[in-house]
Amino acid sequence: MFPKRQVAIAGVYLTKQGKLPDRTSFSLQLEAIQGALADAGMTVQDIDGLLPMSGSNHLAGFDGPTAAHQFWAEQLGGRPLRLMEVGGASGQLAKATAAIAAGMCDVAVLFYGKAGQPVGPRGTAMPNRAPRVAEWSFGIHGAYMIPFYAMWTQRYMHEFKVTPEELAQIPVVDRYHATLNPDSVMGHKGEITVDDVLSSRWIAEPLHLLDCSLDNDGGYAVVLTTAERARDCPKKPVYVLGGAEAVYTDFYVSFTDPWFSDEGKSIRKAADTAFSLAGVSRDDVDVLGSYDCFSVTGLRNLEEMGFCGVGEGAAYVAEGNIRLGGKMPTNTDGGLLSGSHCGDPSGLMVVEVVKQLRGECGARQVKDAKIGVAQQQGFAVHGIGSTLVMGVD
Amino acid sequence: MTTTDTSTTGATAPYLKPLPDVSEANRPFWEGLTRHEFLVPKCDRCGHYNWVPYPACRSCLSEAQTWTRVSGDAHVYSFTVVHRGHGQFGQEAPYAIVMAKLVEEPRPCIVLGNTRGIPHEDLHIGMPIKVVYEDIPGEDITMWRFGPR
Repeated sequence: MFPKRQVAIAGVYLTKQGKLPDRTSFSLQLEAIQGALADAGMTVQDIDGLLPMSGSNHLAGFDGPTAAHQFWAEQLGGRPLRLMEVGGASGQLAKATAAIAAGMCDVAVLFYGKAGQPVGPRGTAMPNRAPRVAEWSFGIHGAYMIPFYAMWTQRYMHEFKVTPEELAQIPVVDRYHATLNPDSVMGHKGEITVDDVLSSRWIAEPLHLLDCSLDNDGGYAVVLTTAERARDCPKKPVYVLGGAEAVYTDFYVSFTDPWFSDEGKSIRKAADTAFSLAGVSRDDVDVLGSYDCFSVTGLRNLEEMGFCGVGEGAAYVAEGNIRLGGKMPTNTDGGLLSGSHCGDPSGLMVVEVVKQLRGECGARQVKDAKIGVAQQQGFAVHGIGSTLVMGVD
Repeated sequence: MTTTDTSTTGATAPYLKPLPDVSEANRPFWEGLTRHEFLVPKCDRCGHYNWVPYPACRSCLSEAQTWTRVSGDAHVYSFTVVHRGHGQFGQEAPYAIVMAKLVEEPRPCIVLGNTRGIPHEDLHIGMPIKVVYEDIPGEDITMWRFGPR
């Protein structure tokens, strides 16, 4: 019979975020792994499980589902390391928690790092003949992530009568938080207003430049272990109380109507399971890390997670709930719009919430934060959703 | 119903935007486009249309589906006017992308595409549109677009 052990986050680490022309994705990943282990008072010899995020295979010739794991097992010394990864960061950590609780692994490291390789159109070369891509690829129609979220925004504004001014609250709050976070990419530029957002240039209507996430370099890592072991580590253990992941559609190819429904989709399913496993209610959450890659995503995440009703995100934000000092400060690091968006930033919410629960956040610290939640979404708008509920004594 | 739009690329300029790498499974669809017909897999068992084509019907999981010509009539489900694009699309910006909901029911078929002959300022959710065809010069592909209805 599997034992059932309590699990905690013992170490987190953030590399520098921003333009890092002298770094490689590999070197950011290696730095993140070693940094998170040092934060946990551990060395690479303590690891027995790996959760590599996307872009972690650095050996050409094999690209199967275990390629990144095999590369890193060899790179880290050729010891037998358990293959733990599946999904977005909170989802991976949730499933790794179950594995550690069951005794299948003792110390697992989640890591990511990206340098170069911009996500958006910046730096794309002009071909000399029409490139061939997968037949249902949105690229055939000139779509990429931003036009997709633009169409989501357009439909959302139409169905719920949401205004551009209401959407712009998300980048304004993110920027305010970023100004309090010395590790953020945009904080040094100072606060912005709703008018600044609305007067920034169009990227894909109705999304302005400041409605869109950053596109920078950076890495991060998280060390997950048993609570028993975490209590012997230098930092305050952050216990994993619950977590889950759900996926509802393919990669920006199929679309369902209705796009917004009261019963919700992946995010709702992941959040309901995570809160249920944790025995925690929405009202108990002191701090939230939410994958707010665009203004609309920030609002929709709050709705889909059940912090407010569908279509009520803007009103919830207007009440001041997500700003530092409000009921549930959200994305205190500046989020994906002003903090960092380093390729796959899905672990950044975990790192920030862990720091909040440890009380390490200085000017942006949420007072007496005991319960925190990290949520991610992506791979089609709200296609994959994951939630991790964390707490401290 | 054919509108071949050469106003943005020029009649002889090579087409440099991405084109589909046609799979054997979906070759009938792309061959239909060259005849200016828009074919959607229709389930032989439950009668539901499925877009994009999947190996089995999403409603009843039957693998028996028949490529069936649809009317091409649709409504704008959502849209965007893009000001910053990759490669050749970037040169043509601003350009519009619509999510077109075909009139065929009951399972919603939402088809992505660019517009032809629709002023960007006229685009709105619910707007009636229809599939139009663009034979790509120098390539073995016909693309679908959406025009006014």
